[in-house]
Amino acid sequence: MLLIPMAWYILFQYGPMYGLQIAFRDFNPARGITGSEWVGFENFDRFFSSYYFGRLLWNTVSISIYSLLFAFPIPILLALLINEMKGERYKKLLQNVTYMPHFISVVVIVGMLQLFLNPQAGFVNFALKEVGIEPVAFLEKAEWFKTVFIGSNIWQNMGWQSIIYIAALAGVNPQLYEAAKIDGAGRWQRIRHVSLPGIFPIIVILLILDIGHFMNVGFEKILLMQNSLNKDASDVIQTFVYQNGILQGDFSYSAAIGLFNSVINFALLVLINRYARKKAETSLW
Amino acid sequence: MKTLQKGLSVSLAVALMSTALLACNTDSAEGPEPAPQSEGGSAGNGDGSAEGELLNKEGFPIVNEPISLKMFARKAPPNGPYEDMLMFKEYEKMTGIDIVWEDVPDEGFAERKNLLFASNELPDALYKAGITPLEAIRYGSSGMLIPLEGLLDSYAPNITALLEQYPEIRASITAPDGHIYALPAILTLGAARTNKHWMNMAWLDAVNLEAPETHEDVVEVLRAFRDGDPNGNGQQDEIPLSTWNLPDLINSMSGSFGLQTQMGYRINIEGDKVDLWIEDDRFKQLLEFLHQLYSEKLIDQELLTHTGADYVAKMGEGKLGYFFNQASDPFVNRKEDYAGIAPFVGPNGDRMVNGSPVARDFGTFAITSVNKYPEATMRWIDYFFSEEGSIFMRYGIEGETFDFQPDGKPEYTEAILTDPRGTGVTIGQFTPWPGGGSPQYVNVNNASAINPPEVQAAQEALDPYLPDKIYGAPMFDEQTAKEVNTLRQDIDAFVDESAAKFVTGALSFDKWGEYVGTLNKMNLEQLQKFYQDAYDKTK
Repeated sequence: MLLIPMAWYILFQYGPMYGLQIAFRDFNPARGITGSEWVGFENFDRFFSSYYFGRLLWNTVSISIYSLLFAFPIPILLALLINEMKGERYKKLLQNVTYMPHFISVVVIVGMLQLFLNPQAGFVNFALKEVGIEPVAFLEKAEWFKTVFIGSNIWQNMGWQSIIYIAALAGVNPQLYEAAKIDGAGRWQRIRHVSLPGIFPIIVILLILDIGHFMNVGFEKILLMQNSLNKDASDVIQTFVYQNGILQGDFSYSAAIGLFNSVINFALLVLINRYARKKAETSLW
Repeated sequence: MKTLQKGLSVSLAVALMSTALLACNTDSAEGPEPAPQSEGGSAGNGDGSAEGELLNKEGFPIVNEPISLKMFARKAPPNGPYEDMLMFKEYEKMTGIDIVWEDVPDEGFAERKNLLFASNELPDALYKAGITPLEAIRYGSSGMLIPLEGLLDSYAPNITALLEQYPEIRASITAPDGHIYALPAILTLGAARTNKHWMNMAWLDAVNLEAPETHEDVVEVLRAFRDGDPNGNGQQDEIPLSTWNLPDLINSMSGSFGLQTQMGYRINIEGDKVDLWIEDDRFKQLLEFLHQLYSEKLIDQELLTHTGADYVAKMGEGKLGYFFNQASDPFVNRKEDYAGIAPFVGPNGDRMVNGSPVARDFGTFAITSVNKYPEATMRWIDYFFSEEGSIFMRYGIEGETFDFQPDGKPEYTEAILTDPRGTGVTIGQFTPWPGGGSPQYVNVNNASAINPPEVQAAQEALDPYLPDKIYGAPMFDEQTAKEVNTLRQDIDAFVDESAAKFVTGALSFDKWGEYVGTLNKMNLEQLQKFYQDAYDKTK
């Protein structure tokens, strides 16, 4: 039985990795991968010395860090909130309302953002005007880009991501709550000392998985939200790879950048896993 | 829950790692061998190829027995499916050549084209594919695209005649290795090569002003458009100035600041010296002027974010005062309101407009090495460059989609011109030319659709201010082309981004020195040298 998944991995996951070598070659499709000239680290050199390198790295890393800081904890808080709610119907309603946005396609989400944040006609700016604040062209300001991007990400995904925590909370032994209650623990104390430790392993595992693609920020959404005015804050490694590799046909160069990106992801994954195994005694392997 | 299953997790990690990589699985050993380069002669002719008895050297049909060719084509928004196009269906009957179309929509076209080459899964020919000079050289020298000059001499009398009439075309499409890998569109009609300056005459009347002569007049007119409620609806909803995007706006106004677009780039040629003007003080002047307009809300505030479709809609709805567009088709319903005006005089007394060379679109057609009938393919495309064939290509079938006027020029039938879908979309159902970039021959006899009287008048307003000579984009050899491309990838992005910031005020003009410094760090001088060398060679 194990043969089928193994064959799948070899064929579709490891096999294509052989194409990785184009990052070290001057890839010419007519000559094929192995026939193209070997150029060593030339493509990497070009990237590291590019004018855009610093900005790309900073944007990629900072968007990831902000996501971890703000977007990661919110589903946990939401799950705790839902778990504490009394009425079944309200609980279901809140859960439904929060996870619905997950099913809207990225293109539509960005269209909605453009509509809502429009400085002339968007309702957000309309509301700002009502309270006497000058309208802001959110999508045309580099300083607003990350806020809008991560904020809308949270709105999109918090409900969906909270499901796994809710499931984990359901698995916490009810007797622990009973015992805590008898010992005189209040609601906050029960959350702190029973609920949170109960789902802690899940939190750590999801954190490790998140960090495993730390450098892969939501590429499609960024590309759709990008314009020449917010590029300062929205230019990330993945959009750069797309623009150079796919649009300009510079495959070797973008493969090198993609490889650089993946190596960082991989290193971070190994590091955080090792750290988690030592400190939290939870890890992927 | 302490540790997940080991095997799975390792593979998971590796799988994550590999996702960002482009997986290209072509191996030279498996891929088709590059076609032998035919040295100036016609490929596969006279050496016992199957084409000998099959092909007619003249007239129709082109082949005696039906053959089939696979063509990869770009499909612009107004185009219908290629296989249903009346013109191609008719042409199949005439030629005996059945085209199997792979028409890919604009959106995502660049990706598809690149992947096509990267995976070496080639069609027989590329049609309306926007092949860039770099692609022509890269894929030409590696044998994926075949050299066409021999085929042109033997099988393309119409194109050859045009190349002789306009010798500069041959120079602009010949690669440094002496081969022609792609065919351009040839537009001898001047109006097809300029962006007209359209002015809303109804609004001008309403605010009691004349068409602007100087850059100061422009500001005055635009201010009047903004404040004077020229459309008389009591609201400040007029957009004084707009265009497709900022590079388009810069290109349309740069002539008034003494800046030309030679060699397909932001280049002035003065006394045999190539000057890349993106760090020139005149460019700074232009950006300062645009910044003034933008900060006074005289430029469409959505200029940097709206799409081409939005812009077309704004033209059609008559929301614009002063704008730039090649033809009048987006606003035919209100063409009485608009007239083309001459470019304004800039602060240094310059009065110029930019235009494209006769070979306007590079790389509209190419034949690949897998094509078994290159001669027939060349004859197939050549017909469209004749007087008769070009009318057939752009107008379809006489009596069905067009009729000849008393003056001998074709005109679409009334049903097409009044179709509620709009002429562009209607014409795009039976011929591929709407949407641009077709391998076509556009002259004064076959262009009434893009050259109605108002466009002719608009072109006449521009004619006195066109540069004497317009140089096309040069063809670099592969190594140079790669270096130029590397330099331009960073520089162009930086210039466009900085221009947007200067114009909107996100970056103050105190930082101009820094901007120039960065450009020099990006090796602008080297880029300029490449263009200078290319210019010296064509001279």
